[in-house]
Amino acid sequence: MKKKKWSNLYLFLVFIFLYVPIFYLIFYSFNAGGTMNDFTGFTLSNYQTVFDDARLIGIVLNTFMLAFLSSLIATTIGTFGAMGIYFTKRRRTRNALLSLNNILMVSPDVIIGASFLIFFTFLGISLNFFSVLLSHIAFSIPIVVLMVLPKLNEMNASLLDAARDLGASTFGVIWKVILPFITPGVIAGYFMAFTYSLDDFAVTFFVTGNGFSTLSVEIYSRARQGISLEINALSALIFLFSICLVIGYYFISKDNLTKKQKRRLRQQSEAREIL
Amino acid sequence: MANQTIIAFENVSKQYDEDLVLKDINFEIEQGKFYTLLGPSGCGKTTILRLIAGFTEATQGNIYFEKKRINDIPANKRKVNTVFQDYALFPHLNVFENVAFGLRIKKMSKQAIAIKVKEVLRLVQLDCFEDREISEMSGGQRQRVAIARALANEPDVLLLDEPLSALDLKLRTNMQYELRELQQRLGITFIFVTHDQEEALAMSDEIFVMNAGQVIQSGTPVDIYDEPINRFVADFIGESNIVEGNMLADNQVEFVGQSFECVDGGMRRNEPVEVVLRPEDLTITSPERGKLVVEVDTQLFRGVHYEIICYDQAGNEWMVHSTKKAKVGSKVGLFFEPEDIHVMRFNETEEEFDARLESYEEE
Repeated sequence: MKKKKWSNLYLFLVFIFLYVPIFYLIFYSFNAGGTMNDFTGFTLSNYQTVFDDARLIGIVLNTFMLAFLSSLIATTIGTFGAMGIYFTKRRRTRNALLSLNNILMVSPDVIIGASFLIFFTFLGISLNFFSVLLSHIAFSIPIVVLMVLPKLNEMNASLLDAARDLGASTFGVIWKVILPFITPGVIAGYFMAFTYSLDDFAVTFFVTGNGFSTLSVEIYSRARQGISLEINALSALIFLFSICLVIGYYFISKDNLTKKQKRRLRQQSEAREIL
Repeated sequence: MANQTIIAFENVSKQYDEDLVLKDINFEIEQGKFYTLLGPSGCGKTTILRLIAGFTEATQGNIYFEKKRINDIPANKRKVNTVFQDYALFPHLNVFENVAFGLRIKKMSKQAIAIKVKEVLRLVQLDCFEDREISEMSGGQRQRVAIARALANEPDVLLLDEPLSALDLKLRTNMQYELRELQQRLGITFIFVTHDQEEALAMSDEIFVMNAGQVIQSGTPVDIYDEPINRFVADFIGESNIVEGNMLADNQVEFVGQSFECVDGGMRRNEPVEVVLRPEDLTITSPERGKLVVEVDTQLFRGVHYEIICYDQAGNEWMVHSTKKAKVGSKVGLFFEPEDIHVMRFNETEEEFDARLESYEEE
């Protein structure tokens, strides 16, 4: 009994530790005082400033657009890449490909960002939305591969034989058997790539140029100039958005579950009738 | 139509890395018969099936389908369909869509597909199961869906890769009857792979007994059971008592120090041979009337019969299947007819065996 009390206390403290800074930030977004030193009065004017700041709204939209596009393209390339690794017959080649993929996963963002910068300047590609998009696609592909590959390995290889046996061409096998089977992995890969792109700072910081900025880079540069409560308000909004996403995901997955459960219940009653 | 060769293997070998899994296989398969490839696991029987289906390529030799060489034709262009050991049903599709998979690829009309799917599902006794998900089906039902899916494409040859091994005994026996009946009704060639000798004997028109990448013996179930070519076949198919003997002359064999009349011949004088006696051909009588005198060692009740283990003076083990009980420790006589004795030469190939059989049967 006592043990449980301690573990609950520990859990409570951990969550406090994780969430207090965020709530502290959000709390001061309602401060009329203009600084985070003392709370002088309640106001929504900071939020007003955020919505009036056309440049900031534009950057938010840019960031989401970038995440959406880069993860879409990375998912497509990564899914086929995973299939390529899966279908590589020679074990040594397959392991080599997988290791090359994993090296990109573990190498620090700073190094990836710096190397992209050197690469782009070498090729004479100007630093703008396009260069950021390219680098985001590049660092998202290994993530997608890692999410899709376990699904492929989980798949019964005789399914592929069966599809070919029934007359499916290579394209037919991929489209009608492999893709439906690995869809959960592909979706998971897409969302992972999406979040990685959203909160990437280091790589973007290197490869972005004049005229294009993402949220993380913008917040960083503003924070350097001195703290403005506008940032607090923006952070609060993004936090709220994340919560909505999590809740939405919860309801979607719960809905699926109940559908399955309903069907099972229906069968059980049918089986009882037959008996 | 009858006795037309549909598939032929000509000197086919298959090598995986260093392993030679098929050694120079030659055989012909006739249309409309039920064939079984029988052998212990790892003997290459599934590899033969995969070669016919087109999932793997022969290292050497030619494979013919309706007299055309098909070595280079991909699996999706061959007129054979497979029922897989693990069924390989598509988990994201329901029963109807699984069965319709091949038909949709052929771009048949919706109506024609619906009619065909209904027809084959009725054939495997799964009417009204169209809308079920695969996860909702039992093992036996999945098995039927897999068969229906293969049959929907109207193949010339149906390949079955140990399809009954995952089912329980009762269901397995039922499916044996059903498969046999289905084959006879449809009149298409079935090639069935199994390691279960009872299954093979019960269903086949023709059995290929395989071991270590070679076809050891082929023939009807009765031929193979009654006249196994060597110790491996005799041991693998059914229970048998195998003792070493000496061929004194045609129709005269000596074993356990005694001479017996038999119906085999065509061998050298005094050639060392092996003698097979099936346990169900041995009857227990009094020691005076028996051809062999043995002592009963143990006795097991097997349901349909007693399995009695006896030893003769030379220490050879004799298994007897009898519906009557014997007394453990007593001396009894074993009686058998000359036709019950089957003599096998050492290292005789199937061709030599067949030639010898013909030579002395003509006389």
